[in-house]
Amino acid sequence: MPKKAGLFFLSILFLTILLQATFKKEDIKIHQLQNGLKIIFYEDHKIPSISYYTFFKVGSRNERPGFTGVSHFIEHMMFNGTRKFGPGEFDRIMEFYGGSNNAYTGEDFTAYTDWFPSKALEKMVELEADRIQGLIFEPQVFESERGVVASERRMGVENNNEAILNENVRATAIMAHPYHWDVIGWMSDILSWRRDEVMQYYRTYYAPNNAVLVVVGDFDTQKTLELIKKHYENIAAQTPPPPVSTAEPPQMGKKQVVIRKEAQTPSFMVVYHAPSCNDPDFFALSILEKPLLRGQSSRLYRRLVREEQLAISVYGGIDEKIDPFLFSLEVKPRPGVDLDKIEKIIDEELARVMEQGISEQEYLKALNIIKSDFYFSLQTNSGKANLLGAAEILFGGYDQLFSIIDRYSAVKREDIPAVAKKYFHENNKTVGRLIPEGGVQ
Amino acid sequence: MIRSSICIFSMIILIPVLAMSTVKLPQPEKILLENGLGVYFFKNSELPLVSFRLLIKGAGSAFEPRGMDGLSNFTADMLLKGTRTMDAEAIAEALDFMGARLSISTTEEYAMASGECLSEHLPTLFQIAADCLISPAFKEDEYKRELARKIDTLKAVKDNPGRALRLYFQKAYFGDHPFSHISLGTDSSLKKMALDDLKKFYKARFRPDAAIMAVVGDVDKEKLIEILKSTFGQWPKPSTPVPVSTIPPVPVPRGKKLIFVDKPDATQSYFALGAPGYPVGDKISASASLMNTLWGGRFTSWLNTELRIKRGLTYGAGSNFQSWKIGGVFTASSYTKNDQIGEMLDITFDLLKKAKIKGFSSEEIDSARNYILGQFPPTLETNGSKANAYLRLIFYGLGFDYYDNYLGEISRAKPEEIKRAAAKLLPESNFLLVLVGKRDEAKKHLEKYGQFQEKKITDPDF
Repeated sequence: MPKKAGLFFLSILFLTILLQATFKKEDIKIHQLQNGLKIIFYEDHKIPSISYYTFFKVGSRNERPGFTGVSHFIEHMMFNGTRKFGPGEFDRIMEFYGGSNNAYTGEDFTAYTDWFPSKALEKMVELEADRIQGLIFEPQVFESERGVVASERRMGVENNNEAILNENVRATAIMAHPYHWDVIGWMSDILSWRRDEVMQYYRTYYAPNNAVLVVVGDFDTQKTLELIKKHYENIAAQTPPPPVSTAEPPQMGKKQVVIRKEAQTPSFMVVYHAPSCNDPDFFALSILEKPLLRGQSSRLYRRLVREEQLAISVYGGIDEKIDPFLFSLEVKPRPGVDLDKIEKIIDEELARVMEQGISEQEYLKALNIIKSDFYFSLQTNSGKANLLGAAEILFGGYDQLFSIIDRYSAVKREDIPAVAKKYFHENNKTVGRLIPEGGVQ
Repeated sequence: MIRSSICIFSMIILIPVLAMSTVKLPQPEKILLENGLGVYFFKNSELPLVSFRLLIKGAGSAFEPRGMDGLSNFTADMLLKGTRTMDAEAIAEALDFMGARLSISTTEEYAMASGECLSEHLPTLFQIAADCLISPAFKEDEYKRELARKIDTLKAVKDNPGRALRLYFQKAYFGDHPFSHISLGTDSSLKKMALDDLKKFYKARFRPDAAIMAVVGDVDKEKLIEILKSTFGQWPKPSTPVPVSTIPPVPVPRGKKLIFVDKPDATQSYFALGAPGYPVGDKISASASLMNTLWGGRFTSWLNTELRIKRGLTYGAGSNFQSWKIGGVFTASSYTKNDQIGEMLDITFDLLKKAKIKGFSSEEIDSARNYILGQFPPTLETNGSKANAYLRLIFYGLGFDYYDNYLGEISRAKPEEIKRAAAKLLPESNFLLVLVGKRDEAKKHLEKYGQFQEKKITDPDF
């Protein structure tokens, strides 16, 4: 343990004060259009660029068996043609105007992230508004893009042992809830999505009343709002999507999954069912994750990588999800080690947390990490846009961003053992192993 | 349909292009410490954060003795594994406790320490970072641990065809040249290496008179000087002269060199195609960047359009230039199902030929211009990226107005210059082509390319 703790203790006192000093809630402007589209503006004129982030409340959580991966597929199709702009034109025009973009699909939401010079704003507003409800899903393009997604799955999952194990463990731990499958979807579903069904799904979820727009950077809020009104106001609201009603039933005993495949190194992970990000326990587990897994000073790194030398690395923790998801402990084992021994050490470390909790030093470390991570993200327009959008969708309001650190601080160190006991018990556990066959050991 | 609409846009955009505002890299102040370490400083109080970078010339992988791949990186790793006053765990704990970041790594040409933290923690971060650089302990047990981890990591790399491909490519392209040194090490170099080699490399090459430092963030100059004096200022300047750091010219492939690495469980084949590029600061930089943006450097590039957007063969395809002081390399790469790799390569070579013969339209060139200019400001948005830029410009001797001039050249480059860049730099008959995939499924689709040298992924080294 470090000998300098005294020096650091002060730091935590500044937590809330500092937050208010820089990125202020009062500087954020909100507007909601008649059709339900919510817009969050934050002006920041440091660089002549704008981050324009659109979040749709749709992800693999909204899918069903036989139709998995479709949220992610629509993310791809969003660049492939509307009535007004042909396939690929979105990217061509955007790049012509000096813009660039990316997009990502998760379990709970899909985000379209554009960053471009301020001068391109009007064009980008037009392009983004157009692809809400405007996609045509031209059959030939539909088929070609199906191939791209199949390639993405082959690259991201089939040629990546950790991803294969992850997919299997998730599907074993989660039985009923749509978090059962990975965002990419099953290969057989990818190969059989039907155009009419995809279009129906798109119409339902890509509606202004199911979206949040976040604009951060070098623009004038009033003028930008006028532009947005001009291009978005005529997009009709849709019937709100049906709620996701499936709740994961409690797990009633330990589950295991073993994969045997050609590989040079094994993979290993343990997961436990964990609460939604709006559950107070989420914050306690998120604090616990830091001393347990984060960095080379974490308990599991020390034991598995340094002391016992069973692993190359450890990572994991709790994910921010709308519905209860998983707390994961992932280990990259050294080749040839006894995986049971790794499991035993993880069990021991979790038992120690359940009995003794974490030290004051570890508790303060967790809060410091949360605080500095937050600031590092605020350095860029894109980081701010991402945080505002995620807070709006996951935590029920952009303004939650300004009290989220308080929610972490509200967790008492003494609460941690009880919360840990609630989740880290044998019946709640799923263990996954990937065992190499062939290859050279 | 697509092309015609682009023409209309180009007319509309003409004025915005010329008027496009950009950012200037702010001029830093220079602080010279008594031991010869120059520190470039820019104050930014927007957030309570500070970033620093410290570059050590001549401490990169190109200066490793032959066959000692990974020595420089291993040396850098060991600096964080204990000093005379703190052991590895104390260092990790102190950094994690602050939520701070500190890493030391190496490129071919130099070693670089990078760190950032909340401003209030700056004295502690500097104290730890300086301690690591000035008095590393090089303990035997830490060395053994790290060595074992590296050997295992090498195995894990070979389970990932995309990562493995890059290393096979590097070895094959550079051959005996020191840029072939793999920073992770190789099975044989790690076997040969001893802790003494690391100590020697450290002693000869990690020194304040070969270093430059940049600090950007929320700290006053007076306070910074005070912290620097008691930390990096204590780094003693050796009496020995700075070792010579010249690197021989980068090799140029003559004829076709073809390599296939068999990975029997791969469901896709991955390719990398390489040819000579150009050195940092070369006068061809702007036209080469514009050319590469159009050919393979962005989403709507020719390569990604043909391979991904039109045909759905892959999730991603791209090309880039990597440049050093003494030369550079062009690389194009992508991946697809094993039985489609032949088609993918045919298209790639057709596109190379087309660019060399026909060049690009003025509409395309305007688009690439806007793209490079428009994407530039966010590259200097953070404290860390500014600190990086300062050191890069100094290391390569480019001057702090380099980006302004470069962006000016991007605005002015003429279509014929871009065509010349394509003709000069895109490969035709002299290149290296490396593939990683499932041999049995891919091989019959590659016959027309000639004889491949075959390797097995399970063989040691690359």
